[in-house]
Amino acid sequence: MSAATREVIERFTAEARMAGAAVYEASGAGEANEYILKLAQKHQARRVVTAKSALAKEIGLRDCLTRAGLEVTETDLGDWLGQLAEGKATNPAETANSQKLEAIAALVSSAAGEKVAAEPPAILQAARRALRQSYLAADMGITEADMAIAETGTVVMLCDEGSSRLVSVLPLVHVTLLNSEGIVPTLDAAVARLRSLGQGKSDSRWPSYITYLTGRNTTGDIPGALMARAQGPAEEHIVLVNQAGGNQ
Amino acid sequence: MSRGMRKRLHQALTDQNLQTALQRRRLMGRPFKHLAAARAPDFELLSREIHRVKEEAMANLPQLIAQFKAEAAKSGAHIFEAKDARLANDYVLNLAQQHNVKHIVKSKSMMTEEIELREHLEKHGIEVKETDIGEWIVQLAGERPAHIVGPAMHKTVEQIAELFSRATGQKLEPDPQVLLNASRQALRQSYIAADMGISGANIAIAETGTITVLTNEGNGCMSTTLPPLHVAVVGYEKIVSSWEDAMAIIRLLSRSTMAMKMPVYISYITGPSRTSAIPGAAQLGGLGSTEVHIVLVDNGRMVMRESADFTEALYCLRCGACLNICPVFGSVAGQTYGYIYQGGIGTILTAFLHGMDKAEDLASLCLGCMACQQVCPARIDIPRLIKRLKAELVARKGLPLSRRVAYGSILKYPGRLDQAAKLGSYLQRPFVDKDAVIRKLPYPLNSLTGAISLPALPANSLKNRLKDCSSPNSGARPKVAFYAGCVAEYAYPDLGEAVMKVMRGYGAEPYYPRGQACCGAPALYAGDVKTVISLARMNITALEEGEPDYVVTVCPGCALLLQKEYPELLGNKLGWSERANRLASKVRDFSQLILELTPSGQTKSPLNRKVTYHDPCHLKRGLGVHSEPRQLLAREGFELVEMFDADVCCGFGGQVVLDYPELSQSILKRKLDEIETTGVDTVVTNCVACVLQLRGGLDKRQSKIRVVHSAELLAGPVKTGG
Repeated sequence: MSAATREVIERFTAEARMAGAAVYEASGAGEANEYILKLAQKHQARRVVTAKSALAKEIGLRDCLTRAGLEVTETDLGDWLGQLAEGKATNPAETANSQKLEAIAALVSSAAGEKVAAEPPAILQAARRALRQSYLAADMGITEADMAIAETGTVVMLCDEGSSRLVSVLPLVHVTLLNSEGIVPTLDAAVARLRSLGQGKSDSRWPSYITYLTGRNTTGDIPGALMARAQGPAEEHIVLVNQAGGNQ
Repeated sequence: MSRGMRKRLHQALTDQNLQTALQRRRLMGRPFKHLAAARAPDFELLSREIHRVKEEAMANLPQLIAQFKAEAAKSGAHIFEAKDARLANDYVLNLAQQHNVKHIVKSKSMMTEEIELREHLEKHGIEVKETDIGEWIVQLAGERPAHIVGPAMHKTVEQIAELFSRATGQKLEPDPQVLLNASRQALRQSYIAADMGISGANIAIAETGTITVLTNEGNGCMSTTLPPLHVAVVGYEKIVSSWEDAMAIIRLLSRSTMAMKMPVYISYITGPSRTSAIPGAAQLGGLGSTEVHIVLVDNGRMVMRESADFTEALYCLRCGACLNICPVFGSVAGQTYGYIYQGGIGTILTAFLHGMDKAEDLASLCLGCMACQQVCPARIDIPRLIKRLKAELVARKGLPLSRRVAYGSILKYPGRLDQAAKLGSYLQRPFVDKDAVIRKLPYPLNSLTGAISLPALPANSLKNRLKDCSSPNSGARPKVAFYAGCVAEYAYPDLGEAVMKVMRGYGAEPYYPRGQACCGAPALYAGDVKTVISLARMNITALEEGEPDYVVTVCPGCALLLQKEYPELLGNKLGWSERANRLASKVRDFSQLILELTPSGQTKSPLNRKVTYHDPCHLKRGLGVHSEPRQLLAREGFELVEMFDADVCCGFGGQVVLDYPELSQSILKRKLDEIETTGVDTVVTNCVACVLQLRGGLDKRQSKIRVVHSAELLAGPVKTGG
């Protein structure tokens, strides 16, 4: 992945701002965390949901927010289970395959406050219910963009589970983390990159969900004005993190 | 034209709420006009690309359908192909019943409106909630969408406050922000409770079996992700080949819809959600939908595709740009049309998706102003499709008797038309005021003078006055044949004389070929192609006389037929093709010709006279002439004060002025208001029909503003020969 040029970053920033997103360029982990924490405090946020993000892990975002007293829930299923297992004796990730379902069921039972059978459908249903509560209760959602498009100021999120879509649309404030190397110049360049992502993988299926998010949600359906914040977040923030070799 | 349509128009035009909503929308839209243009500097290029993408997709449709189905199935989606509305509705209903679905959330989809899916499910006791705010408003009102993109654009904020108050059980003020907050809260609850989400698709991508849902509000994301079941109802015409092709559409769609560069949310959905975090759950779904069903709908599309003349209508992206610019739509909004699809493109879609007979009324509403054709991001030639549709309707069921007589027995024969005009000039006498204007006609013609005063028909037509100018004198001066057209011929012969005078003044040798007849426009817009062809031959022959260098016109409607329609209509007729093309190459607008004859003409010193210029539709959009008349005015020393919407139709177009005078009047009113806002005392235009309409409308207002054709302005006072 070649680094995005300054020109491409600036074009992206200008377009995203024009579409209604706030863009903050952080020089490193410290600045990024600080910006997001301040934002959470400004909105008196108490609960935060995050979708899968290598960048958030790398900059230690969850720790930073948790230390400040915020309740952070990881909503990627694997990460969520990992979070539930923290401090517990049995971590499913380290459990033998034959015991895995039991270990997971135990974790989900404790989180859901109900006895969940050690069967995939029951576990999945319980996890869906529990996580839906988290999305709805959250004041802030944090996702990571897999890439971004300078031409239109768009952030692009890929996922199979659906967590990043729900994290990005349901809470009051949405923050997108973006490694500046992920910015491509045009819509067509984004398609080319989407194609290259699937190549060489054993499961070359296209992701279930690809979301292009441009600016902030609006509606023109109530006459009088084009109004911001229709049914999604009130604010869209993009935190650009300049880190060589970021999310590879 | 039908009584029912006339009644619906009357209702719409006298509905205070609707007219208030439309007026507010116009005011709000004013600044956007420039914005939209500025955001699409490359509109031309991008729209050509969309046209190509759609053209190829429709050409290869059967292969693309097969590919889409195969890929979507691979991703885990279920596919059902529905031949018609009933099959599509039953499939969704069965699915809902099998899964014991009680609550459904739905994002906006014209496809589901077309097949009336919501009504079908509701009839069977399932609750369906529209989640697009505009669509929800319309649902609460128990109405149909008034606009492809803005379903509730016909409602005032006061009406919406009432609807929302009733729905939420709280008293809500008619403040947009209050209403928005209330709807957000009310809708949020529905997503959580829903067992099924229904969407359409803006684009379906064959190479990966992906459906694409575009929204600005965010409701598309939620209603396709939160409920366990997601059903997408997709018309065949939405399928394109590749992701690159999808990008071509996305680049222009929101600019055309909302003057936005991009939609806020684009959801690409390829199969149900899935997870690998739980062993053994790979086939069970993830956190989003666990089952995706795609219903591919035909419902008349394949017939449309096969009828080569109308395939182009399948390129429609449902962006609504053609509605926003349509003067008729701007007067009455979408529900007047009576079916799901409104405006020009809606006329064609209605013909195929709801029935040929149902489209007749809609076709009669078209002014033929060509505004829609200019803004279509898929470059669909909507006016041409409507003309074809009218011809098709006439071929199927013939013309009404009155029109059969008017076109087939009078228009076709110049002598008879002369006689009819003479008779009219005699019969009109009791109704002509002293200044040669008819302000009131008796029943049943009274509606004609409802909106405009009419010019009295002079006893002496142009043909008689120009008896001595029927052929050019030999000489070195350019020979200019004057093609008058019916309005100048019978109503404004003075104007005809002015043309001759000015042409001579500019060093040309003008003459009036006596064999000329009506151009055939009224017959063409009524679908009577036979009459047009017969008149075309007559005029081509007449205008070959004297071997002119140019043919000058004062009516762009006529010029458009001479220049564009004759060659097309006679294209494959032996021998006529070449003659039609030769004539076409000689046809000029009055101002255009003067500039061409005197390219190095000096700019005269300022006259200290302000005028405004009205662009005739067929001149600007049909023939591409809009700067020339302005240049000529400037050269002659006039100061031009531009009116807003100078190129919007005056309401005279098509058959509207005859069939629906009340509608024509409403369009005219806006034009006259814009003229009055400029504060000038003279309106110039280069179309005699526009002159008739504007003059008649201003006379009714007892306005002092004068309306002149450029020829009259340049000629100064002309001695009348009548």
